[in-house]
Amino acid sequence: MSGPGTVFRETSAQPRTESVPFSHLSLELGHLYMEDFAEGPARLRRHFAAVRPWVDAARAAVGPLPAGKRPRISTCFLIDDYFSRLSTPAELIPPLLQAAAEAGLSIDYLARESGCAVAEPGHRDRAELAEAVLHRLVESPPPGSNGFRPPVSRTGWLTNGRRTPSHRTSAALDATGAVWEPPSETGARGHSVFVDVELWSGPEEERLWSCAFLASVWQLVRLGLLRHDGRAVLTPAPWDDKEFPAEWDALPPVVRLNPLAAPFTAYATCSVLPARFLPVEHAVRVVLDQVHVESEALRQIAERSAAEGMPVPAGIVDRTSYVFPPGL
Amino acid sequence: MSAPEEESRDTETVLACGEVRTCLLPTRDAVDEQVAERLLRLRADERVRLSRRPNRHAVSPDILTGVDCRLPTAGGAKIRAVGTVTARAALVEGRVLQATAHFAAPADGPDRRQPWGYYLVRPGVLVPVGRLARQAVVKGFLTGQQQDELDVGSVAESLLARISRQHRLLDYDTPLNTTDTSLRWAALPAADGEPAAPHFTVADDGRRVVELRLPRGTSPAAAATLCEDLALHDWLLTTVADKLDGLRLGSADGRAALKVLRPLVDHLLHLWMPQARVDRTLNALWQELEETPGFSRQWTSLAQRIRDQLAVQLLTRSDALTAS
Repeated sequence: MSGPGTVFRETSAQPRTESVPFSHLSLELGHLYMEDFAEGPARLRRHFAAVRPWVDAARAAVGPLPAGKRPRISTCFLIDDYFSRLSTPAELIPPLLQAAAEAGLSIDYLARESGCAVAEPGHRDRAELAEAVLHRLVESPPPGSNGFRPPVSRTGWLTNGRRTPSHRTSAALDATGAVWEPPSETGARGHSVFVDVELWSGPEEERLWSCAFLASVWQLVRLGLLRHDGRAVLTPAPWDDKEFPAEWDALPPVVRLNPLAAPFTAYATCSVLPARFLPVEHAVRVVLDQVHVESEALRQIAERSAAEGMPVPAGIVDRTSYVFPPGL
Repeated sequence: MSAPEEESRDTETVLACGEVRTCLLPTRDAVDEQVAERLLRLRADERVRLSRRPNRHAVSPDILTGVDCRLPTAGGAKIRAVGTVTARAALVEGRVLQATAHFAAPADGPDRRQPWGYYLVRPGVLVPVGRLARQAVVKGFLTGQQQDELDVGSVAESLLARISRQHRLLDYDTPLNTTDTSLRWAALPAADGEPAAPHFTVADDGRRVVELRLPRGTSPAAAATLCEDLALHDWLLTTVADKLDGLRLGSADGRAALKVLRPLVDHLLHLWMPQARVDRTLNALWQELEETPGFSRQWTSLAQRIRDQLAVQLLTRSDALTAS
């Protein structure tokens, strides 16, 4: 209906999707709990020293790129200011940057985890980013789902398969031979690894998003796949000041610390994380596998990455990778 | 990893099917654009598409439902398909609510189910596990599904229910009683030289069946828009014709007739606007239906009859007034 020959068009009827710039790789330089920060600078130095060799490896692994092309790689670090706020940006950030620099690493972009929950704290009318992603979940249907019986959702939980059917069980019944049915992973190879992910807790008005769900939003943001009414979200704000504010909310959700950095959003992500985050990241993969991203955003990335000679994998989850190094 | 050209080739679809449910929005008066937008805002981060020319029309974002089940087939062939059915709702002039659920399918697919992400980047596509017998699927789909087979009608129905449940925006006091209709459609690409003709069947209890041959390259969304347009106008014809059927027009005082005719004028007569948003390449299909059975011909006749009746009522009354 639209196209070069369009005689008449209405902008409110034909949505536009803003495009964003892309690096080849978004490299996350670890993740720490607030308690880790409390242990002091030595803990931070140990962290970045352990991350460093794997960052070099991840950089070297980008590509192959067409001859003469330099990879665009940006680094980022996510600070957990959502679950606890033991310290202030002014106290916490300078030692963090210092420790990274001592290991020869620079943090190009710094993000706040609460930014993944509420994109713009000043605008309560704006829907929460996490909630927008929640509305984009399309549950993977276990075999037999025909539309009349859509996949069974349990409010606030998401699985990678089919749950154990809920029976009213009692010791007496079990004794008479009521059969327990195991849960199953959809598409399992042989045996199941069934996961049930808690997306949030608490009543709807004051939902507390789970770490796994916010980490999924974080991946989608880094992959440049989220929009609000067609506009880009969490666009990095430049931060040239050496000082940081005393309040977390005074800091934009994503700040660009290095003015020369490659774009924040990237075709692929690599996260160097302590192994204790492995269960969380497994959950992230279960979530990412069931998020329906706006087609136009997907199309833009597919076209541009292909034009650069480095086409992205079709599936979103295949665009993420991890390193869980020893000693982190 | 496959290059984009390869991607588009392996999801080239050879068949599109869907179902449209049409009903009167359960409110006394037509809702304005603002309320229409709130009713259809099914996702926090995506706009409702609003159009004002040539009439007011609002369309919700597409909502996906994952399915993994057998497709209905004629002749009992067993074809399993996995993927998403896409559904959207539309509100015409703030008065008529429609929900459409549809899917497209390629000629064949991988021999086993793929990771779910594979299907989510192909929204509205059901990929068969193995080969698709498309004639059998079209026949089976239009006849109706068996238990455990794909049920797109339920997907459309649950979307209607989700919108009609918004108590804060709706008063549930409709100005006239109407029957909901469901229109089931299946479209195959036309062979070279084959005319793009529709077969429209009107069955009992509000069920309609349309089989289409579409020009090659027609998108499933364009086919769905055409069928929404057919469903809307069929619903208008059905509703108005039902109201006039058996109406005792000659009764002494015309009050009874007026009670029926007035809401039709207030709420429905201005809604007739075929092909308002239908892709131009599909104009020929509408023309076919204008020839036989002659949708607009019937509508013009019905509308004229209503206006004539109202004129007669007016005359009778003024006569009565002058006489007394």
